[in-house]
Amino acid sequence: MTAVIQAALNGAMMGAMYGLTALGLTLIFGVMKVVNFAHGSLLMVGMFSAYWLIRLTGIHPYLALVIVPPVLFVFGYYLQDVVIKPVFKAEGQVREPLTVIIVTTGVWYVLDNLALMLFGAEYRTVRTAISNKSFALGEFIISIPKFSGFVVAIATAIGLALFMRKTKTGKALRATSLDREAANLMGIDQYRIYNIAFGLGTAIAGIAGCVLIPFYYVYPSVGVVFDIRAFIIVVLGGLGSIPGALLGGLVIGLIESVFSQFMASTWTEAIIYAIFLIILFVKPSGFFGHKQDW
Amino acid sequence: MSRKQLDRILLAVVALAAFGLPLVVTSPTYLQILILLFFYAYLTTAWNLVGGFAGVLPLGHSVFVGIGAYTSSILTLQYGVSPWIGMLVGGAIAAVIGVIIGLPTFRMRGAYFCLCTIAFAEGIRVMVENIDTLGPLKINGPRGLLVPLLKDPTFWDYQFMSKLPYYYIILVLLILVLAFTWFISRSKIGYYLAAGGEEPEAAAALGINVANYKLFAMALSCFLTALAGTFYAQLMLYFYPKGLMGLDLSFEIAFIALIGGRGTIAGPVIGALLLRPLNEFTRIYLSDMLPGLHLVIFGLILILVMIYLPKGLTAPLAALYDRLARKITGQGAAK
Amino acid sequence: MSNILEVTNLTKHFGGLTAVSSLDLHIKTGEILALIGPNGAGKSTVFNLVAGVFAPSEGVIKFAGQTTHGQKPWDLARLGLARTFQIVKPFGSKTVLYNVMVGAFLRTNSTQKAREIAEEVLVTLQLDHTKDMLAANLTIADRKRLEIAKALATDPKLLLLDEVMAGLRPTEVDDMIGIIRGLRDRGVTVFVIEHIMRAVMALSDRVVVIQFGQKIAEGSPEAVTKDENVIKAYLGGEYDAA
Repeated sequence: MTAVIQAALNGAMMGAMYGLTALGLTLIFGVMKVVNFAHGSLLMVGMFSAYWLIRLTGIHPYLALVIVPPVLFVFGYYLQDVVIKPVFKAEGQVREPLTVIIVTTGVWYVLDNLALMLFGAEYRTVRTAISNKSFALGEFIISIPKFSGFVVAIATAIGLALFMRKTKTGKALRATSLDREAANLMGIDQYRIYNIAFGLGTAIAGIAGCVLIPFYYVYPSVGVVFDIRAFIIVVLGGLGSIPGALLGGLVIGLIESVFSQFMASTWTEAIIYAIFLIILFVKPSGFFGHKQDW
Repeated sequence: MSRKQLDRILLAVVALAAFGLPLVVTSPTYLQILILLFFYAYLTTAWNLVGGFAGVLPLGHSVFVGIGAYTSSILTLQYGVSPWIGMLVGGAIAAVIGVIIGLPTFRMRGAYFCLCTIAFAEGIRVMVENIDTLGPLKINGPRGLLVPLLKDPTFWDYQFMSKLPYYYIILVLLILVLAFTWFISRSKIGYYLAAGGEEPEAAAALGINVANYKLFAMALSCFLTALAGTFYAQLMLYFYPKGLMGLDLSFEIAFIALIGGRGTIAGPVIGALLLRPLNEFTRIYLSDMLPGLHLVIFGLILILVMIYLPKGLTAPLAALYDRLARKITGQGAAK
Repeated sequence: MSNILEVTNLTKHFGGLTAVSSLDLHIKTGEILALIGPNGAGKSTVFNLVAGVFAPSEGVIKFAGQTTHGQKPWDLARLGLARTFQIVKPFGSKTVLYNVMVGAFLRTNSTQKAREIAEEVLVTLQLDHTKDMLAANLTIADRKRLEIAKALATDPKLLLLDEVMAGLRPTEVDDMIGIIRGLRDRGVTVFVIEHIMRAVMALSDRVVVIQFGQKIAEGSPEAVTKDENVIKAYLGGEYDAA
C-alpha cells in the first residue's frame, strides 16, 4: 500500500507537469479555436532555454523562472504574428481553421528538427542546486524539484484564472474566445489578442520547461511525450477550461503512475488512451467543458 | 479542338506515361520509389474523401493501414487465406472502426474529431506493441510480422519476384480510387459532403444529415486505406507497429493532401509528386550531414505553402493549365 | 383553406430565461405571415423551434398536419419546410450554382436534374448571371437572394425567411418584395421575420407581433400597426426588451 501511495504522490506531481503543459494548450485553443500541435515543441524550447541558461550561467533553476517565460512570451507572440496569423487571415472567418492546425504541425517539425541539428539527439540533464534533494513526509519521500513543480503548476493555473478574470487583457481574451466577431465589433483587435494568447501559452510552456529541468531530461523530441498527453488532458478537462487542464493532468499522472505499479508501463499508455476514448463516448464535453455545438 | 478533347488527350497521355514508365525506369531502387509515390498518392486520395470532401481533419489514418496489413497477413500466415481476400476483410474491419471513431465525434467540433483520431491510432498502436497473441491470433508485439517469401508465388499469393507487378497493382489501385473520387465529387454525396463540411447548419436546413454523410465518407476512406495496408505488407513482406502505424505516416498523408490541395481530385497526386521525391532525396543526401535538416525543409515547405497558397498547389496549377488550354483550343472564355 | 403550420402553447426555456412563452400561431396554406417584434422578442427562437434546430420545452408544432416533435432540421426539410438564416450561410468556396444544387439534391439523386432545378431557381431569383461566381464574392443583396434560392431549390411547401431585407438598399427591398410575392404565386407559403415595416406592410396577409416571447397582437398589417400594445412595445418597451 505504501508503494501505491508513494506512486500516487509521484503521479500527482508529474501530472501537475502534464497539466501545466495542457494549460497553455487549452488557453490557445480557447481563444483561437486552434489545436496547437507545436505546443510540445514550445515546451522543448522552454526546456532547452532553461537548460542552457542554467548550464552556462550556473544560476539557481528557479531564477530561470524569471527569465525564460518572458523570453518565451515574446517568442510565442511573434511566432503567431509572423507564421500563424497570415494563414488565419487567409481562412477568413471560418469557425475552425483547420489549415492553421497544419501550420502549427509545420512549426513543430521545424522546431524539433532544428533542435536536433543544433544539439543532437542525446538526452541531457543538468545538475542543479536542488536536483536529487527531497524531504520525508511520514514514510513517504517527496522530491523537492517535483514538489516545487507541483506548487508552481497550481500557482500558474490560479494566476492565469485571475488574469483572465481581473485584467482588461484577460477580459478581452475571454471575449474573443466567446465570440470573435462580437469582440471585433467591440473594438478588440482579434489578431493582437491571438498574439497575446499564443505568447501566454508559450510562456506557460516556458514555466513548465524551467520546473522540469531540475528533474527531467531534455532532448529534441521531448515535446511529443507531453504533446499527446496534453491533447488527451484538454479533451478530458474540456477544451478551453483552465481547471479542467490541471485536473485532467493530475488524473493522467495518477493513472500512469499508479497503474505502472501493477503492470508493464507500456500498458499504462494504452490504458490512458482507453480512458480517454471512454470519456469521449460518455461525456464528450469533458469534466469542465461546455456543451458543444456542432 | 474542344476543351473536353484536350482534357481527354492530356489524361490519356499521363495514363500512358504512367503505364510506360517502367520501360524507362528499370532500376528496382527507382521503381520502388515510384511504387511508394503511388502508394502515398493512393493513401492521400483515400484520406481526401473524409479529410478533404467532408471537411474534417483525421490525423490517425496510419492505424487503418496497420489494420489492413495485420488482418491480411494474419489470415495468410495462420489460415492460408489469400491476401486478396484478407485485404477485403481488413477493409471491412477498418470501415467499422472508422464509424466507431466518427459516431461520437462527428457531432462535435472538428478539433475533437482530430484529437480523437490521433488518440485512437496511438492507442491501437500501443496495444499492438503490447500484445503477442490475441486469442488464437499471433500479433507478435513490437517485433511485427514477417510474411514469408514463397518459392513460386502465384498471383493468388499477392507476391511477385520482381517489382513490376507491384508497380502495376498500385497504379491500377490509384487510378481506380481517383476515378471513384471523381465520380463521388460529381454526385449528390459529394455535394452533400462539401456542404456539410463547409456550413453544417445551412446543410442541415437543406435536408442533409451531416453526421451520417461524414460517417459514410469515413467508412469509405478507412476501407480504401486498409486495402493499401495489405499492399504494403505484400510489397515489403515485413512490417512492425511503430513503422507502419505511427503518427509520422498519418501526418505525412495529411501534409501531402494539404500541400497538394485538400478536397481536390488531383491534389493528392500533385502533393505526392512533390513531397515524396523531396522526402526520399533529402533523406538520402542530407540526413547524414545534418540529421533533421530534411524535416526542417519539410516543415518549412508546409508553412510556406499554407501561408501563400492556403488551398494548396492544385489551384494555381489548374489556373495555369486553364490559360494554356485556352491558348491551345483558341477559346476566349474559360468554361 | 387548411393550416400548413399550427403552433400551440409553444414554450422554450434557455436555462432560467424564457425565450418563447405559450405562443399560439397558425399559417394558412398559401398566405404570407409576418412575425414582428422588438429586438430580443424571441422571433428567431420561434424560427429555430419550427425548423427543428431546438426542441420546444413545451407545446406542439404541427407542420402539414404532422407533429414535428423530435424531428431534426433535415427531416423537416424533407417534409417541405425550408428556411434561410439571418446571418447568411453560403457555401462560400463553391459557385452559386453549386450552392443551389445542394438544395436541389433533396428532390433528386441525379446531378443533371439537380443542375436543371438549380438553374431554373436562379432564373426565378434573377441570379442566373452570377451562377459561376464564388458565393463568397457575392454582394450582400445577392447573398440574401442566394440564401432564398438554396431554400427554394428544396421545393418547400413552407418557407421561413429570417430578415432577408436587412442591410438592403430601398430599391433592393422593392425587388425582394417582388420576389417573395412571386414565390407565393408559385404556391409556396411564406413565413417571414422582418424589421423593415414597409416590407411587412407591402407583403403580409397577416402579422403576428410578439414581445418577451409572448404574442401581443395579431391581425392585418393595418390593424396591427394601430394596436395600442404594439405601439407601446415598439416605443416604450424597446430598451427593456433588447
